[in-house]
Amino acid sequence: MKMKNILLGLLFSAFAATSLASSGLTGQAAPDFALKSASGENLRLSEYRGDVVMVNFWATWCGPCRQEMPLLDELYSRYGRVGFSLLGVNIDDNSSKAMNMVSELGVSFPVLFDSNKAVSKLYEVDAMPVTVLIDREGTVRYVHLGYKPGYEEKYLDQIRSLLRE
Amino acid sequence: MVTNRLLISLIVSMLLVFSATSIAQETAVADAEAASREKFRSLDEDVQNLKKEVLDLNRDLFLLEEELLFPANSQVAFFVSLDVGEYFDLDSVNLKIDGKEVANYLYTEREAEALARGGVHRVHMANLKTGDHELIAIFTGAGPNIRDYRRGATLTFDKGIGAKYIELEITDRVKKQQPEFVIKEWE
Repeated sequence: MKMKNILLGLLFSAFAATSLASSGLTGQAAPDFALKSASGENLRLSEYRGDVVMVNFWATWCGPCRQEMPLLDELYSRYGRVGFSLLGVNIDDNSSKAMNMVSELGVSFPVLFDSNKAVSKLYEVDAMPVTVLIDREGTVRYVHLGYKPGYEEKYLDQIRSLLRE
Repeated sequence: MVTNRLLISLIVSMLLVFSATSIAQETAVADAEAASREKFRSLDEDVQNLKKEVLDLNRDLFLLEEELLFPANSQVAFFVSLDVGEYFDLDSVNLKIDGKEVANYLYTEREAEALARGGVHRVHMANLKTGDHELIAIFTGAGPNIRDYRRGATLTFDKGIGAKYIELEITDRVKKQQPEFVIKEWE
């Protein structure tokens, strides 16, 4: 009986470990996508191969996104010329609200619209904001769910280490 | 004298026995070597045969997998091409087969440039049954005077036996100063 319980426990933990590993994108090739940007051009992730890319999923109704975006813009203006790209993916149904917020916050990084949520599904976005860091080879290296003050320090360290690779 | 002769004959006979034994030993060693060489050769042949069989099996499995995934008989490929493109900046192509959306491709500036330089883009590949099928292609982009442009083109094609290739061609109609969208089947 005891042996059976131990075996069941082992099986369960193995299953849990597998499902946990398969749910994350970390270490996987970043799923490619193309979206319409606020400037009117279509941008495709795979065309940024060779750069360290941050994909930030955000929405106008998300308070932490509003806090985070100007800080991300600082990172973008600081590291943009040394091979760092930032794509802000807005998931609102109505892109005009997003446009207003972008101009209000004055961010300079490209903002893309994922109104039909196809890309959010691809990246398993189930929190807001979600920030994904992709290395020069196109592999997802870090995924951050939500935003709390101080996260930008983590982003800074991770971007610097990925740029050095 | 007799003793001497006896001694000599004894020595000679002993020598004969020794040499006979060594010859026999040498022959046995040579035989064993030949046998082991033969064994090695046959083992080597076996390994080579096994390798060949594995390679054959691998090739067969690869072909089988390909045939199962994209059977040549039901395969239909759709390509987008752009000839000149003076009157049209391509933004996206949307494809519907028999009323069902199968592809919606957004072209980046770089991809549109590649098309303008003569590149052909395979936008979709499908498996379709034999018989008639309807293809609707919707092209969006910027037309003359950078105005938003959205045009559709339809083709009903007969899918026979064998693979089929369909080209969605965007050309310039100089007389009308308008783009033209043509769907054609490759023969």
